[in-house]
Amino acid sequence: MTAPAGRVALDRAQPPEARPLERFLFPPFLHRRLLPGLDLYAAHIPRAPMVSLELILPHGGQSDPVDARGLASLTADLLDEGSELRSGPEIAAWVERLGGSLSASADWDAGYVACTLLAEHLPHALALIAEVALTPTFPDAEVERLRKRRLAELMRRRSSPTALAEQRFARALYGTGAYGYPLIGDEADLRALHRDAAASFYRHAFRRGGATLIASGDLDPEDIAARSGELLAVWPADPAPAPQPVEPVERSAITIHVVDRPQAAQTELRLGHAGPPRNHPDRVPLSVMNSLLGGKFISRINLNLRERHGYTYGAHSSFANRLGPGPFQVSAAVATESTAAAVRETLGELRRLQQEAPAREELADAVQYLEGVFPYTLQTVESMAQRLSQLAVFGLADDYFDRYFELLREVTPEAIREVAARHLRPEVCAVVAVGPAAALVPQLESLGRVAVWSPAGEPVGEADEAG
Amino acid sequence: MTAFPDLLIEQHQLDNGLRVVLNPDAALPLVAVNLWYHVGSQNEVPGRTGFAHLFEHMLFQGSLHIGTNDHFRHVQQVGGVANGSTWYDRTNYYETLPANHLELGLWLESDRMGWLLPAMTSEKLENQRHVVMNERLQRVDNQPYGRAYERLDELLFPAAHPYHWPVIGYMDDIAAATLADVESFFRTWYTPDNAVLTLAGDFEPAEALALADRYFGEIAPGPRPPRPRPELPELAGAVHETQDDAVELSRLHLAFRLPPYGHADWYAADLLATVLTGGLSSPLYRDLVYDRQLAQDVGAFVLPTELAGSFALVATARPETEPAALEAAVREHVRRAGAEPFATAELDRARNRILTHHWEGLQQLDQRADQLSQLVTFFGDPHLLQRELDRYRELSAEDLQRCAARWLTDERSVAVTVVPARAAAA
Repeated sequence: MTAPAGRVALDRAQPPEARPLERFLFPPFLHRRLLPGLDLYAAHIPRAPMVSLELILPHGGQSDPVDARGLASLTADLLDEGSELRSGPEIAAWVERLGGSLSASADWDAGYVACTLLAEHLPHALALIAEVALTPTFPDAEVERLRKRRLAELMRRRSSPTALAEQRFARALYGTGAYGYPLIGDEADLRALHRDAAASFYRHAFRRGGATLIASGDLDPEDIAARSGELLAVWPADPAPAPQPVEPVERSAITIHVVDRPQAAQTELRLGHAGPPRNHPDRVPLSVMNSLLGGKFISRINLNLRERHGYTYGAHSSFANRLGPGPFQVSAAVATESTAAAVRETLGELRRLQQEAPAREELADAVQYLEGVFPYTLQTVESMAQRLSQLAVFGLADDYFDRYFELLREVTPEAIREVAARHLRPEVCAVVAVGPAAALVPQLESLGRVAVWSPAGEPVGEADEAG
Repeated sequence: MTAFPDLLIEQHQLDNGLRVVLNPDAALPLVAVNLWYHVGSQNEVPGRTGFAHLFEHMLFQGSLHIGTNDHFRHVQQVGGVANGSTWYDRTNYYETLPANHLELGLWLESDRMGWLLPAMTSEKLENQRHVVMNERLQRVDNQPYGRAYERLDELLFPAAHPYHWPVIGYMDDIAAATLADVESFFRTWYTPDNAVLTLAGDFEPAEALALADRYFGEIAPGPRPPRPRPELPELAGAVHETQDDAVELSRLHLAFRLPPYGHADWYAADLLATVLTGGLSSPLYRDLVYDRQLAQDVGAFVLPTELAGSFALVATARPETEPAALEAAVREHVRRAGAEPFATAELDRARNRILTHHWEGLQQLDQRADQLSQLVTFFGDPHLLQRELDRYRELSAEDLQRCAARWLTDERSVAVTVVPARAAAA
């Protein structure tokens, strides 16, 4: 078609009509049991000459021993610091020579060895991932170096308002157990960690049983299956037992934690509580609920705190993606003098959503947003690998992302109110405010009991550990 | 060797001067709409710093046919993503939409280019002034090390040069902006002949061009004010400042002026930054973080700026490292870069890293469109998107050495070391 020549015909008062668009389908992928205990997910995504590979290791921070908090993350980090064939620097030099990068890390649920690089180097990447995952040597000097680096990182975080807020919020929700401390470790435990702890965690937890290989990009899934089966065959197959469940702290009222930074120019705010696990059956209506509550710019909390009141540059809410009861949280950096007002407005938004079903239009906007934005989140080979990784880590069915679109369209206004009533708990929220205590405590006292902490984590005055 | 795909790129110009770049790519049902206005903090004056950025916020407050906040509403309700950003030389506005909503993006962007002023009110300005002040607090004043980059620019460029002041502006200047400023800034800079529109994604080029003309064609061109040509006398000598901040670890920021983006030495410096600190096997990471463990982290970067370039090295000290020892070690590496050539293998590692990052970025339509707008704004040539890689391929180890010896010398260096403030007396 061509646009009409006469410009007067253009009616700017109404948004233009959309063209019809074919429904977006999640890209096809291969899912196969490759070896006993080990699955492969592989997708041919030829948009760019890139590949992204990821070996997911069973067990993450949730499996940290009680006296070795941070061990899963440290062990994962050490995988590429020395193999039977190469030293850490040799491993880095080898992959970086090709323009690629290799990373080894853990989150609360799993460990990950990942590599993204140009597709022509795929066979090298696959062999290197197998090498570091199957033959790590945990050299003493590297354990010592990473341990010191982590201690310095924990120290650095004491001057970061966002890190302080996240740490205090996690501690308020989960106490000293899993999810309650930084993934990279607790200072006291890190000081005591040594090589044998990492080597033993590795032998116990990072095994083929429960592991998954993910591959996405300009590649042939069958070729990956053929190459990787051989590379990973010698890995012990029997899985380690599942970790202890995560136990959130029980609270019967709103509790407020102020981390005192007397000179702070602004206050870093967190508000929330433990939420449902990623694979909870309410997950899709919950995502829609969160989207209209605080998951996008046009959401109730952001419009309230930013556009109506000018308290903040932006406010956001989210449910964590974790195997266990990860946090639901609202986060914002607010003008210190408006902190209590921002908390009240936020709690008000949570309660309103529990009491009144949203209008059909507001719901439709949220559903169309989540549906329409999905392809945007799938543009890179790495983002496709992440989606496949979600299927594996959270045990979601192969047709989960196809079903996701159907489930989105089935959500009703009343279902939003119901999941808000079931999963939001404004009456027992933990509130964390990092800023000048002298200005914050008087404002916040009317909302609940206030405990004050130093940036180093020491109680100031009568603070205690209870949620 | 993998064959690298060729991207289809067209450049057009409407009668009113708006340049239109088209990059059709049907791999995903998406379209990126990206608009660069050639105006940024370089076009501000002392006393009104931060205005280009505050103005960018006002462009999301509605225009004649679009209500307050309806820009985001229209985009998000169809599953799009939108934002804008302000920098030294330019302000960009962009949305990535489901491909069938291309026309929505054109409608939204053309309405604020053509019909912004009827929607401006002092209430909106007042609200966004608070949002921006909070943005400054969040990004600068309440961030550890947050004031260091600002100070680096203040020391690197003289007071009359527009790179002297921060893009986000000083608090008092943000407070001083008026609605009259909004109007004159709009009339001066937000004109079709001072802008580049790029579309990347799933569309038919002839149709997209016709639509761009339909929505933008009737907007009148503007006065084309002269581009700034500030004087930049040589630094009188090395500068070194120490800043107290609420931090636990000290951090060194070491910067040097460079020729502007596009100059051969700019590319040499960019490649040198990647040689020096790109990856765990780079010499600075290997020496400072790995072997001697003086630093927690180290990085170097070169900014693609139009009036003058800059090269910055940033290294955070370990708790037990004296800031002076870290600085001496960093400077020694920089001196060596000017004194002897790197091995070809080091250049190849850096070039492969740049090539990989190039393709990583191009996968994302919004980044690709933004790159195209940048290349047309600065150089008038969108095909540099892929040809620019040749500028890196052509460089030799001796070119990098010459570049370091010419620009990265101790006498031309500006350093800001942030150290932990001594605890205030209780």
